[in-house]
Amino acid sequence: MYKNGLTYGKCTTIVLLTHIIMLLAILLRGKYDTPQDILPLAVAVIGLDLTYSIVLRFLYRQMTYTLDFVLLLLINISVMFQSCFGGVGFAAKHYVTCIVALAVCQVGFLLTRNHVWIQSKKIVLYILLGVLILSILLLTGSRSMWINIGPISIQPSEFMKPVFVLICATSIREQHEKKKILFFYVSKEMMILTGAFIVIVGLQWWCRDLGSLPTFAAAYGCALACRLCYPKAKFSKKTIIGISAIAAILVALALRFAPGYVQNRLSVDIWNQMEGDGYQQCKALIAIAEGGLFGKGPGCGSLYKVFASDTDIVFSTICEEWGFLVALLSILILMAMMLLPMINKPRSYFHTTMILGCVAVLIVQMGLNIFGSCNLIPFTGVTIPFISQGGSSMITSGFLAGMLKAGQSPVFKKPEPKKKKAKARKAVAAA
Amino acid sequence: MKSIQSIRRGERLTILILIVFFLGMGVLVWKVVKESSFYMSHSDDVTLGMVYDRNNQILFDPNASTETYDENYFLDVGNVIGDDSGQMTNTLVSENIEKLQNYSLIFGATPHGKTAIYSTLDHKANQTVYNAFGSKNGTAIAYNYQTGEILVCVSKPSVNILDNYSNISELPDGSLICKAFYETTPGSTQKIATTAAALETFGYDGLMSKTYTCNGIYTTKYNQQIKCHDLNGHGTQNIVQGFENSCNPFFAQLVQDMPLDNIIQTYTRMGIAVNDTKMQKIQFDGLSSFSASTKLTDTSDFDTMWSCMGQSEALASPLQMMLWESAIANASGKVTEPYLIDHTTNVTGSTKYEAKTTYGENNIFSAEVASQIKQIMRQNGQERYSSIGYPVGVKSGTAQVQNGASENSLLVGFNDDPNLPIAFCVVIEDRVSGEISTSDIVSTMLNALNQN
Repeated sequence: MYKNGLTYGKCTTIVLLTHIIMLLAILLRGKYDTPQDILPLAVAVIGLDLTYSIVLRFLYRQMTYTLDFVLLLLINISVMFQSCFGGVGFAAKHYVTCIVALAVCQVGFLLTRNHVWIQSKKIVLYILLGVLILSILLLTGSRSMWINIGPISIQPSEFMKPVFVLICATSIREQHEKKKILFFYVSKEMMILTGAFIVIVGLQWWCRDLGSLPTFAAAYGCALACRLCYPKAKFSKKTIIGISAIAAILVALALRFAPGYVQNRLSVDIWNQMEGDGYQQCKALIAIAEGGLFGKGPGCGSLYKVFASDTDIVFSTICEEWGFLVALLSILILMAMMLLPMINKPRSYFHTTMILGCVAVLIVQMGLNIFGSCNLIPFTGVTIPFISQGGSSMITSGFLAGMLKAGQSPVFKKPEPKKKKAKARKAVAAA
Repeated sequence: MKSIQSIRRGERLTILILIVFFLGMGVLVWKVVKESSFYMSHSDDVTLGMVYDRNNQILFDPNASTETYDENYFLDVGNVIGDDSGQMTNTLVSENIEKLQNYSLIFGATPHGKTAIYSTLDHKANQTVYNAFGSKNGTAIAYNYQTGEILVCVSKPSVNILDNYSNISELPDGSLICKAFYETTPGSTQKIATTAAALETFGYDGLMSKTYTCNGIYTTKYNQQIKCHDLNGHGTQNIVQGFENSCNPFFAQLVQDMPLDNIIQTYTRMGIAVNDTKMQKIQFDGLSSFSASTKLTDTSDFDTMWSCMGQSEALASPLQMMLWESAIANASGKVTEPYLIDHTTNVTGSTKYEAKTTYGENNIFSAEVASQIKQIMRQNGQERYSSIGYPVGVKSGTAQVQNGASENSLLVGFNDDPNLPIAFCVVIEDRVSGEISTSDIVSTMLNALNQN
């Protein structure tokens, strides 16, 4: 019924082998003082591989587990990347956030696999979104997206992403009660969703952090596309043209009235501003070229000295040290993870929409990071899921991965009412 | 059923998003493959390879110093081959830095790679020609009109790159550019183009039958005087005599007899930008050269006449003048395109690029006209320039520059010998009688090339 392709044992072997080969690459080509410098990293990576595999195999056996292994593969690759920037060491903080992401992935899976249950909690999702928005407005500094608590910085807007995807996915019930407003058949819920999206856009605008805006726009756009053709099966040409026209006008207006700092980024000629606005991108592109296909060797790069080398321009940092091929392979693994729900196909419309939203968010974020740092599109400060450093991003990505997994092995049981449950227990006890 | 269709649509949309991203990654890969050499040109990691001449003599060495090379070793190619200091543009090195990088996307930066540019220049001949200028400044350029290989390219004053620009403020004007690529007043060498226009207008027999009288001064119908360099006059002449004498009154009357449109047509085909039309630049191996320009308004007008005789508004680069000679020497009417890079090698030493001989897309004049001009120029060479010692076809010119304050001496032409098929243009700046002549330099140049 569920396709996993490989057994637990084979999956574990592949993950372990990949990581061992990478550790050997660090040993042979890396920059370190003594081979002992690699030991903490090796123990951490192999330890996590074995522990997670054992947990999955014996303590938490599931119907689909391929995504778990792909995630494990990716997470430890990320740990090795981050541990080697500028010299082989051990990125303990990143390692911890990776473990948290693995745990959060399971939480996301458990919370979203039952579409009936999650849809019954729709109001909670809206409340959660409201709380997150309020936390940004009240707890961050002056027009900022960050909450600083001692040494820890939290970005609540990251947590808004899975919440917003879930809100999009749960807005399915009232689709049968659409009413025609102007040219479109819309439901009350769709209007509420649109309102939530507008609030998010306003918030990002106010906080002068428009980097994540395309991520939310992608999730909203996918939800809109799904909803407009449901329950009617076909898109009408008029609808497509109408939506495209409105989207084009909105984008044109946004670009026209975008703040100065955004306009600058849209028109920056990086090679003429190598020491100015184009500094990071120029350095990133030069690093890619310097690395060639096989890289300078783990820890042998120089891009780590540039600001945000482990987050916003992490793709180039990997290219420099590990080579363009390895960097591309990492991205392919991420893409493979997103393709897995197409093998174990979602069995409900809710899960289809949820997977679509997750893929849209993850892909847009990857695109913004990689294409932005390589000057194919304007540069924005967003992270690559699971690869870049950052706790908020890692937790959010973990939750989204859990949602992807939930779409593959859903549960369709309706939640039992609490009273009935209690009565049943009493009856069992009496018997 | 509708729900299943909607689920499938959602799946398709998911796959579409992934495909779009995948295509984006494809574009990124393409961009990196295509532009990585450019990115590396901004890197501190990359080392540069050498530039060699056609006999494997070094023309550029990134690690050159006075300890390893003779003091004036690079002087003759200083402003042609240049260096990577960024002080000069439009030099072989500055415009081909990416080709010189010891870098490949596969291996990254390779400090001891074998990347190199093999130039068509003959360093020994180049040095000989440079030295032949003596104390005079100017430029000399020569190429094989059958293949397009530039063999000699000298521009004086030059810059000694071994000095590391320590004396940059004291360098004479024009030291940092190769004058062969920049426009100058062509003087009477322009009469070649005017003769071509006359041949296309009247035909060979028609032109041969025309005679004009030179009394030293010709007065135009607007009562303007065109003076001949021989104020005693050349008497009655035909085109061959007028060409040999470089007689201004002869050509003034010839121009007056031609429809303006005919001259403009011939000039335009030759690549001369007439009357404020945009000048086409000559591009080769990353280098850029001016072509030619002039103003022609009325064939009876003093300025138009002088423009047709290489003064007034007429301008042309020595490279362009040399290229015209290839169309004449080959008697094809087609220009042989020049090149300075024979081949390049990559980090592993294998050939990456190899030059091929190409010709201009269009004839600048018909093969028949080319052959007829060749005959006229050859006769001029035989009669007046036998001292060169080779079967040359030439046209000399004296160009007044700096509002007549000084005169440049020019000689353009070709060696009509299949074993030494050289087209050339030599300019000596501010030359006065008794000093080294352009024909002396041509003779020296052909001798040097013949020996090598």
